[in-house]
Amino acid sequence: MKVYKKEGNVLQILCFPDEEVEKGDYLLIEEPKAGKALIAQVIDVQFANVPGILEELLRSSPDGGNIEGADFDPLEIAPHITYIQDSRLLICKVRASVNNGQLSPSKSWFPSRSRSVVKKLPVSRLLEAIQARGELPIVLGETKEGSQLVIDASSLDGRLNIVTGKKETGKSHLSKLLVLSLVQYGASVVVFDLNGEYAGLGYSSDGARNAYYHRIHVLTPGRNFKLMLGQLKLRVILSILVHALHLPGTSAREFRHIWKTLKEKNELTLYALGEAIRNWRCNIHVRDALFSRYYALVNSGIFTDNPSEASSLEEFLFKTREKGGAVVVNLRDTSSIDRQIMVEYVLGKLVELLSNWRLRAVFLFAEEAHLYLRETYWDDIVTRMRHFGIFTTFITNQPDSIRSSIYRQADNIFLFNFTNENDLEAVSKATRVDAETVKSIVRDLPPRHCLVLGRAVKDFPMVVKVRSLDVKAMGRTRLFFEKRADLLEKVTVPLEELSKASG
Amino acid sequence: MVIEQLPITTTPKYNFPQENIALTLPQTFLELSIQSIKTVEKQPLCLRELLNFQQDTMTTLPVPKHVIAKPISLKPKRDNSVVSAADVSSIKIGETSTGLLIAIRGAVVWKQNSDYRYLRVGPFLFHVTEENKHEIYNRLRRAYFGFVHQNRKTAGLHSTSTPNLMQMQSRLTGLFEKWLQMSMTMAENGLILWDGALTAGTPEAPLDVVERILEIARKRGAVVMGFSKMTRLRFLGYRITDLLTQSKPPCLLKLDGYSKVCGPIRLLGDIYVARLAEGNCAFRLDLDRKLPNEQHVEAVQRLLGNDIVLQGYPETLRLAHILCTFTANEVIAMQRFIANKMKLNMVSRPNIRRILFGPYGKGDGEAY
Repeated sequence: MKVYKKEGNVLQILCFPDEEVEKGDYLLIEEPKAGKALIAQVIDVQFANVPGILEELLRSSPDGGNIEGADFDPLEIAPHITYIQDSRLLICKVRASVNNGQLSPSKSWFPSRSRSVVKKLPVSRLLEAIQARGELPIVLGETKEGSQLVIDASSLDGRLNIVTGKKETGKSHLSKLLVLSLVQYGASVVVFDLNGEYAGLGYSSDGARNAYYHRIHVLTPGRNFKLMLGQLKLRVILSILVHALHLPGTSAREFRHIWKTLKEKNELTLYALGEAIRNWRCNIHVRDALFSRYYALVNSGIFTDNPSEASSLEEFLFKTREKGGAVVVNLRDTSSIDRQIMVEYVLGKLVELLSNWRLRAVFLFAEEAHLYLRETYWDDIVTRMRHFGIFTTFITNQPDSIRSSIYRQADNIFLFNFTNENDLEAVSKATRVDAETVKSIVRDLPPRHCLVLGRAVKDFPMVVKVRSLDVKAMGRTRLFFEKRADLLEKVTVPLEELSKASG
Repeated sequence: MVIEQLPITTTPKYNFPQENIALTLPQTFLELSIQSIKTVEKQPLCLRELLNFQQDTMTTLPVPKHVIAKPISLKPKRDNSVVSAADVSSIKIGETSTGLLIAIRGAVVWKQNSDYRYLRVGPFLFHVTEENKHEIYNRLRRAYFGFVHQNRKTAGLHSTSTPNLMQMQSRLTGLFEKWLQMSMTMAENGLILWDGALTAGTPEAPLDVVERILEIARKRGAVVMGFSKMTRLRFLGYRITDLLTQSKPPCLLKLDGYSKVCGPIRLLGDIYVARLAEGNCAFRLDLDRKLPNEQHVEAVQRLLGNDIVLQGYPETLRLAHILCTFTANEVIAMQRFIANKMKLNMVSRPNIRRILFGPYGKGDGEAY
């Protein structure tokens, strides 16, 4: 490999056919005598612009057909021709420099074309150099070279993370891996599980209980999770009414009075609330508004007046304090309104517990948050709630559903494959890396492969094949042609047959 | 003399299914190529001035006193004749402190029925120096055109003097082209297409050699046809290729009256202007002078019937040209080959004009 060009922090390296380099690989451009080096990442591989290539290709197929013949090439120059034809240009981004063995983020050193030695930098060596492993290692999976990509769990602590990629690329799988790893290190995790995918975290793939069984608490609203009104603070119920059920301000004021009155009487029940609204002296329109919200609460099935049916979120969260654990809020099969009621309640409760220091911090995993998170919460989560100790990981297959301001503030981004230009454009807004890297590498990622950006990899973007988990798969897409789909998945067509078929 | 060879051997006969074209591989070319490039070892190789040498027919003949200017209308005649063509390219791939590095490659293309086939021979690399130019040139001449020497000796003539270093590229190219053309005469009753006129008497095309090739071809019932893409011949001040612009193609115009001798140059063909297809392309076409006019016309009609003629130029000849021409990539590959094999240090030759005159220094060949 030879240094060809350097423009800004983009290096172009000439690479010959016998040198195996792919997108995502790291290169070390070293000048041993000067004791300096650059670390660059290959973000694109192109054919080298060798003069005369077009003429040669055209010549090999005159008039669109093949001319049969042979070459008597006594000096065997043909291999040299193909060698040059197949030479490639590696477009690389300079990630850091090395000065006398010390890694530095400065990229200003200019390497010599003639004296520089370019070689592949094994990811394992790079990870060692950047000390990504830390004291709380999370094995994400394997790099292309077969070495483990290990990140430090503390790189997720206090951070905003995004996991995104198109459908069926492995986002939820990675999220599960992160959840279990955090639980393993004693962290409290709350998951807003939109499709009921995390319900099986406590079971291994054969259905048996796994080591996490006692630490995974699946709460299904209306089924094993019901609340009594008395468990709610006025602020939380108002949040639900105003934000989830869109109660107007005047009606909210009246509700506040009703609530306070009932609380003073120690009569905070659904029944008492209904009666109070019915008998409250107020404008008829206000009463109607309050009634409609009241029935929404009743119909959600989340609230109960029966103490034996009621559960306590606090209790589940406190269970996670000692040895770590995850509270999975199963939002599958819940209506949009009920989902919002539940999310408002959980977030309100978390803020309450965290602000009282009854909980130290919580890792919140929010799947497709745009489906239940109100507009104002986005900024709240990434700015205010972070200070309370809610460290969010957004998981979505619609990257444009997350605001660009969120991407800019994200500390870690786990990117799976995207092919759609709009999606790529949206994710490329992340400030932890340049848009070209994202667009070029993410477009070609195979399923289950993920580009890790951010603090977890010390800003050295890395591609990893996410390791498998022995966890019961839940939330699989229900198929009409189930058997046929299984068959189709097994169909493999040998390359020779394809070649034969195309003549 | 024992030649220290690189471990490259050739089979004596090229193993390609050929019915009418049979080439014995140019063993001496290969031997001399290998021998010469061994002399280049560990020298700096300058890469400037890589100019493609393209031999064209710019023979200037005296203007004729009279011309029978009557176009002959042609009708394609299909008889499954083998149409074959040869072309040779050479290029200077670098300079060393003692000489030049030259690459030569030839291609033979033939068409039988509807199939085109080719044999590409080379590239041969030569490191030509003042010391080895005599040996290279004379050994090649002796090896491939030994009969000429024999004839000259018999006639009491001296062999042709060795060219200077700068002429070696065109001389070696000429020798190789004549060798290819000689090999093509094996095609019986075929049509043999040459790139350029049927002129002889130049160092690149010795009279005895060209006469001999034509003679062998005649004996085998083949017709040699020389197509010139460029010509300086004029008639009444007009370029001869413009004479047929009003005639309906395919047609042929015979130009009589041109002198057959001009100094050392001999014209071994009758000169025609051929406009074989629609479009503005007409070419000078030379046909073996010792064949009757009727056979000339018939040969062109057979060419029309048995080969694809696009823009008035035979496809076989076009393919031969395309296949032998060096692309820039190939030049780089050859430079890499020689640099790797002989441990050469490749350097760019300083541009004296640029050094002296900066942005006012034109290219070496652009002195205004």
